Amino acid sequence: MPSWEEFRPFIVTGLALGGVYSLSGVGLVVLYRATGVLNLAFGAVGAMGALIAWELINNANWPDGLAYLVCVVFGGVVTLLYGLLFGPPLAGRDPLVKATATLGLALILLGAMSWIWSDKARSMILPTSNENFMVSDVLVNYTQVIGFAFGVVVTVVTAAFLRYTNLGTAMRALANDREITATLGVPVRRVEAAAWLGSGLLAGVAGLLLSNLVGLDANTLTFLVISSLAAALIARLQSLTVTLAAGIVVGLVNALITPILSISEYRDMTPFILAIIALLWLSRHREVRIGRAAG
Amino acid sequence: MVIVALLAFVLAALPSMLSTYWITVFTAVAIYAVVALGLNLLMGRVGLVSLGQIAVLALGAWVAAKLLFDTSLPFPVVILLSGLITMVLGTIVGLPALRLTGLYLALITLMMAGAITVVLAATDFPNGGPGFLAHSESSLGSGATIRRPAVAETDPAYFRYVVVTAALMFLVALWHVRSKAGRAWEAIRQSEPAALAAGVNITLYKLWAFALASFMTGVAGALLAGNVGQLFNYQFPTRDNIILLAVVLMGGIYSIWGALVAGLLFRYLPALLDTWGLPADLLTILFGVGVLQVLLTAPAGIVEQFPKDMARLGRLVARGAGRVVGGVRRA
Amino acid sequence: MIEVENLQVRFGGVRPIDGMTLTFPGGTCGLIGPNGAGKTTFFNVLSGFVKPVAGAVRAFGEDLLGMPDYRRARWGLRRTFQTEQAIEKLSVYDNVALAHEHSGDGRGSLAEDVLGALDFVGLEVDPRSKVGTLGARERRLVEVARAVVGKPRVVLLDEPAAGLPDEETQHMGRVIRQIPEHSGALVILVDHDMSLVSACCEVTAVLDFGKLIASGPTAEVLRDEKVMKAYLGTEET
Repeated sequence: MPSWEEFRPFIVTGLALGGVYSLSGVGLVVLYRATGVLNLAFGAVGAMGALIAWELINNANWPDGLAYLVCVVFGGVVTLLYGLLFGPPLAGRDPLVKATATLGLALILLGAMSWIWSDKARSMILPTSNENFMVSDVLVNYTQVIGFAFGVVVTVVTAAFLRYTNLGTAMRALANDREITATLGVPVRRVEAAAWLGSGLLAGVAGLLLSNLVGLDANTLTFLVISSLAAALIARLQSLTVTLAAGIVVGLVNALITPILSISEYRDMTPFILAIIALLWLSRHREVRIGRAAG
Repeated sequence: MVIVALLAFVLAALPSMLSTYWITVFTAVAIYAVVALGLNLLMGRVGLVSLGQIAVLALGAWVAAKLLFDTSLPFPVVILLSGLITMVLGTIVGLPALRLTGLYLALITLMMAGAITVVLAATDFPNGGPGFLAHSESSLGSGATIRRPAVAETDPAYFRYVVVTAALMFLVALWHVRSKAGRAWEAIRQSEPAALAAGVNITLYKLWAFALASFMTGVAGALLAGNVGQLFNYQFPTRDNIILLAVVLMGGIYSIWGALVAGLLFRYLPALLDTWGLPADLLTILFGVGVLQVLLTAPAGIVEQFPKDMARLGRLVARGAGRVVGGVRRA
Repeated sequence: MIEVENLQVRFGGVRPIDGMTLTFPGGTCGLIGPNGAGKTTFFNVLSGFVKPVAGAVRAFGEDLLGMPDYRRARWGLRRTFQTEQAIEKLSVYDNVALAHEHSGDGRGSLAEDVLGALDFVGLEVDPRSKVGTLGARERRLVEVARAVVGKPRVVLLDEPAAGLPDEETQHMGRVIRQIPEHSGALVILVDHDMSLVSACCEVTAVLDFGKLIASGPTAEVLRDEKVMKAYLGTEET
């Protein structure tokens, strides 16, 4: 059993990664609640944004900051476009159908990424990754701080937004009952578009952060969405606070298993195991509803 | 019937018309058609979506490889055992998950697939090494390959062997669909209350669909092990789980023959594109578009548009085959 | 005979069934009431789709609520739905066979029983035709055939003639009247069409707001002031 000292650096990586899982989870939950769509292409969108940023920095000599902006904006735009094109025609369908449709988007993006960039190893270092400080003998870099901080900040801001702004209230109304909300004169399509855009921007941010914390690889980044999904599922696709907590727990447990050599190879199973346990525990009653999705 | 004639042609004439490369390709087509059949039954008959069938395939292949290396059981027995063991595992997984609704169930299959993938990445596949995991790094260089059935060691012979097994699986599927199970499944798919009111034990029949799909995928895993000779994790990439879903949807889920189209899309098209010098990634994009198109417009998939598209597909195949029949694969 | 004792159903703050106690004696019994009175909810409790928070239901002496839902069909409980639920992709024959093969033995062979049921309801289409190709009248008859095939003990009919023109409704009425004699089953008919209820049911119970407000011979019940008030929604002074 490793000692406390050996665990400490992994607490940092765990918190950082967990923060990003949380912010992705929030992106997934808010979109699901407003539109009934669980966007399984969330990771792919972020991955492609990150690759575009890499391309701009390394092959087009764009300034770093601008490239990062492009990544985030790309996330927002692609997701919004998808939502505008495929949201309405699928609006009345089962959540399963809507989620499966996003898999179509994921495949398109995966194929495009493989084709344009192939599967070479790349790295993109955010300037914050080079700045670090010590916290009781453990090295912490600023990207990690951002990861964790963003997770918390995004959750709090989004919760406040949903609670206190008109747009946020409209989204909550939509999540509750789409039909009635429409009859109340709420511009449903516009509110949904806002949800798609917001969720997409978060996907871009997550892609950027993960490309630093984990690596810039299309496949890995695309399927990391499953860890964020685990957090969102543990929160039953409803509560943002639980999503935050769950994301951090998933990140922490995953990282903390790394030094335990006997099971270290299996640590990437953590999000899956936690999600499975959560799903099964939640299904112990006969009727199971994941949140209250619109439509 | 058309199918019987096609089968006869494929068994008798096809192997002699093709080069070794293409024989391996079509063997893979038959294998993945069986995998697609499992998913086709789940989605089309019972309305359940599994996002982890490729992980199940890897599991089946692992079991088969282990048995083939560590025992001297005859190949058919290994196929049966792989199917049965995979079936048991699939049922155990399926059992607690069946009370979940559609989206939940699909997500749990995704999670299970992820878990299986991580485990297999850590344990690797049996390759004649020692112990339970039957894997050793040193064996990698030794070229130990998974044996084939004594009667079907050559590629053309193995191709026929696989096609016959695949045909058997399709027969099993057909029999199910036309029987009491098929009726119960259709009722469950359209209206669970109606099925329940008619006395159908919904959990049991969903479980049976899961078990059958797992069994078939396990069988396919055994056939795959024999086809490739050596198993590696990269042969079961995560994205294949989604691509399989895409091709099953595109092939059509309301007829079991859609699984055949799915197999062709999954393994024949990439090979075809390869001979034309085009990247397989284009197909990934195409399949993504296909998913969207199917879900938006034709839930029954390609099989309904069959007559129209068949002509186009036929011409594509003819052009591709023309460059290959000479026996030399164009680089 | 079916005895319902103090049945209570709650969905959040709503009580669709609020202390329902009544007895269905046998033959064909009507169950009427204004919209939202709890009639379909009651059927859903019997079918097992809804779990009551209190109360008991005894059918022919056996505790119905204690049985797992899919077993009730085997025991002999059958029903039709307000929005008909005949399975579209299956043939007429298969739809009826479905109910028969999952609910225990019939009198004769499967084919005999299925064709007998189709004959009984007066459905004259080719049994091999897919239900999806049939019109509303045929589909409702398929549902009824499914409900009477084999040895049913209780048949729940939820607005079986809804949307059908008069002539078809009368035909449905004739079929329903014969069910108890044909199969020995107790029939409960929920409907808004009073002429259908009068034609088929010897006794009728009336629900309002989840409670029983009247029961007895059908003709008397239909003339009862309380019942008329419930339908018209006038306040009780």
